[in-house]
Amino acid sequence: MIIAIVIIGLLFIIGIVIYNSLIGKKNQVTNAFSAIDVMLKKRFDLIPNLVEVVKQYTTYEQSTLTKIVELRAKATSGNISDTERATLDAQLSSSIKGLMVNVENYPDLKANENFINLQSTWTESEEQIAAARRAYNASVTDYNNAIMMFPGSIFAGMLNFQPVTVLATAEEERKNISAKDLFNS
Amino acid sequence: MQAEFENNAAFQSVLATLEVERKKIASTKTKGYIFIGSGIAFGILGAVLGIPMPSILIGLGGVIYGGILLYRITEQSRAYAGAFKRDVIGSALKSLDQSLTIEPYSGIVDDEFVSSQLFTTNPDRYHTEDLVSGQAGKTRFYFAEVHAEYKTEEQTKDGRRVNWHEIFKGIIFVADFNKNFNGVTVVRPKGITAAFGVWFSKNIFSFGDKDAILLENPEFNKTFVTYGNDQVEARYILTPAMMDRIFSLNRKSASAISLSFINSRMYIAFPLQRNYFEAPVFKTLLNPALLNEDISVIRFMYDIVNELDLNTRIWGKN
Repeated sequence: MIIAIVIIGLLFIIGIVIYNSLIGKKNQVTNAFSAIDVMLKKRFDLIPNLVEVVKQYTTYEQSTLTKIVELRAKATSGNISDTERATLDAQLSSSIKGLMVNVENYPDLKANENFINLQSTWTESEEQIAAARRAYNASVTDYNNAIMMFPGSIFAGMLNFQPVTVLATAEEERKNISAKDLFNS
Repeated sequence: MQAEFENNAAFQSVLATLEVERKKIASTKTKGYIFIGSGIAFGILGAVLGIPMPSILIGLGGVIYGGILLYRITEQSRAYAGAFKRDVIGSALKSLDQSLTIEPYSGIVDDEFVSSQLFTTNPDRYHTEDLVSGQAGKTRFYFAEVHAEYKTEEQTKDGRRVNWHEIFKGIIFVADFNKNFNGVTVVRPKGITAAFGVWFSKNIFSFGDKDAILLENPEFNKTFVTYGNDQVEARYILTPAMMDRIFSLNRKSASAISLSFINSRMYIAFPLQRNYFEAPVFKTLLNPALLNEDISVIRFMYDIVNELDLNTRIWGKN
């Protein structure tokens, strides 16, 4: 009798531990996703300044600048899905990359202190976004492992927890970077 | 590089002056040890031969005289050791990079050792010396020899006994890191307890303010355990390229290294058993291979900045 109670008690405690750990991992995924959002927002905030500085020095990049401003407006408008936002972000990234390469044609701009600052802040935020994406993928992997492996899989089945897909690089970014393409964009 | 400064006339004359000093110290020390040794031998021999009193007195005289000789040379050998570090090691440093300097009596203070969070135990006995500092490109760095120990006490039937255990002995290297960060990230070599700790903190309960961070590089994860209080920031610091560089730096070091990233600096602990930058007393200074090991350790430390690519300053920190 006592043994039965002890066993039931133990199973109950193990159940609570597994349940809590699953919930913790699920929340970690949401949390990691919002970290990417924060980093993206930080980068979006840089764009107006960047555009302002570049505008003063260049006359030929107007179309690129207009495109960047439009993309940013769309991306920050709020009523778009995560997938759309990711696509916009990828486009924005490649436009800015192109712009950074074209800066070589404008020695004055390249030497401008504001621009140098913005450029390094931009690189910094790029790397922070990359770090946030890696953190997100790590927590997704952790969560997926937990819900697919025994004994977590039993609870996950009962609670209807679904596996989450990791973030992959957009097809466009996976290509090797070619300087020629950047100049033509 | 090495031959260039070692063939330098000024350097050779410094060595020649120090060599005279060294010979004097070495002969006095030898004399002192001989007096002490023969005094003890004489005492024992007398006791065995059944004439204890006179032989012990003579033996004691020898030991005391030997002791006085050694005592009187202490100050001089300290000055000699200091001059060796300043002039000989100093020139070797300057030949590598003009910015490099050595301060024999400074080091990394214990507060900094503790706040680096490289090790989890606080030291009870701490010794540090030979602070080398300088700049490689844009990156300022310094390193020093550190020996940190903690004690345990146990009750035996003869009273309390204090045991000393080593936390760390070797060189701690500190460099200004090329990216801005606010949190703490620690990379430690992986042992069985650490591996269990990671599993426990990920699956059951996490103690303290730092969580285990599982990075994508499987080789890196097999060798190291990473902790930090910010998952994103840890990955911002430990980029895939940085993990590769740390991994290859670790392979070049004889024992597994530990790293921490805190207060905008990076700390690396290299466990080493040898005491570096010490002046030889019983070996000649004129041996061409004299500085080989010291120079190779200095060069190794100097090259870390390039090895870890700390001079790339494109992340808004200059």
